[in-house]
Amino acid sequence: MKKSLWPGDILWAGYLLFLAAFFGVMQHRPMVSLGWQGELPAYIAKLREARRQVQFQGVKTVNLLQARALWETGALFIDARKPEEFAELHIEGAYNLPPDLFKNKDVQLLVGLPKDRRIVVYCGQEACDSALQAAEKLQSQGFTQVAAYLGGFRAWDEAGYPVDTAQ
Amino acid sequence: MRNAAFPANALGSEFKEKLRANFLLSSLSILLGAALGAVFFYAGLQKHLAPFQFAEAVMAYRLFPQSLVGLVAAVLPWVELTAGFFLVLGYLLEAAGRIAMVLGLSAGGLLVGGIKRRSCLLIIAALALVFIIVMSVTMARGLEIDCGCGLFFQRQVGPVPILENILMLLLAAALYWWEYAGE
Repeated sequence: MKKSLWPGDILWAGYLLFLAAFFGVMQHRPMVSLGWQGELPAYIAKLREARRQVQFQGVKTVNLLQARALWETGALFIDARKPEEFAELHIEGAYNLPPDLFKNKDVQLLVGLPKDRRIVVYCGQEACDSALQAAEKLQSQGFTQVAAYLGGFRAWDEAGYPVDTAQ
Repeated sequence: MRNAAFPANALGSEFKEKLRANFLLSSLSILLGAALGAVFFYAGLQKHLAPFQFAEAVMAYRLFPQSLVGLVAAVLPWVELTAGFFLVLGYLLEAAGRIAMVLGLSAGGLLVGGIKRRSCLLIIAALALVFIIVMSVTMARGLEIDCGCGLFFQRQVGPVPILENILMLLLAAALYWWEYAGE
């Protein structure tokens, strides 16, 4: 067997890396140039919206201002993040309903709640789907006035709206 | 004589020769190497097929300027694909070559030790090292984000993916040592 040494290995590794980079850029040229022009975040947001429109067809959504208005008129706010994140900080008056909890049939919070109660569900930020998932599940349990607030906790907090640490 | 410049290798080489002669151990090294390559190939393929999803994950790390996110998301999967593919291929050919030699076909010897397996192992070790550093930094910054590294389901950056990468780094380093023939 011909013996070769580690400098040769590194050279070959460099060559392979070069090949990989070349093919990667060739394969994903549109994405690279979108990124270069700074339009990648907007494009990704558009793709996400398109996916959600198919995946969560029947779910109503609200923006930050609409959510604020609903909050002021006493809608029930449901935080669909994990308990740790909820405990840290959440929208004032919100109840935590983490994704895992929906596996139990009777969620205590929902027992006896009128089906036409206005409910707003939110999660961490734009990219998370758990608010939409929770809203969909609530609808399937018969709640009629459910909306998912898509900006999430981050946008609410950044807008300086009321937040709380209490349970 | 030049072994003196690489004392660790000189020390280990005799011991390594003994280990290599063991059929079970050398089969295991082929198996583990092929598995390591397959994991990286699969990881790269998955990212290649969902490029914008991966770009989103890259963006969430907030490490690169926006203008370079697309480039990173395009190149990284292909580095994984290339290194993984040639590693698997190299080990499969090694296995085929050895079987051929056992069957008395001397041409099988041409396959043994072929393809730049050690270079692939170096790339994979470097990737794992980069992932470990990036995820540790991300944890230290307190970002709770999707790691972009879940092979079968989405996962967040945390100790488990870091530990996985440490294991893969160790495996790649061990295989490199195993494959390294020295002087």
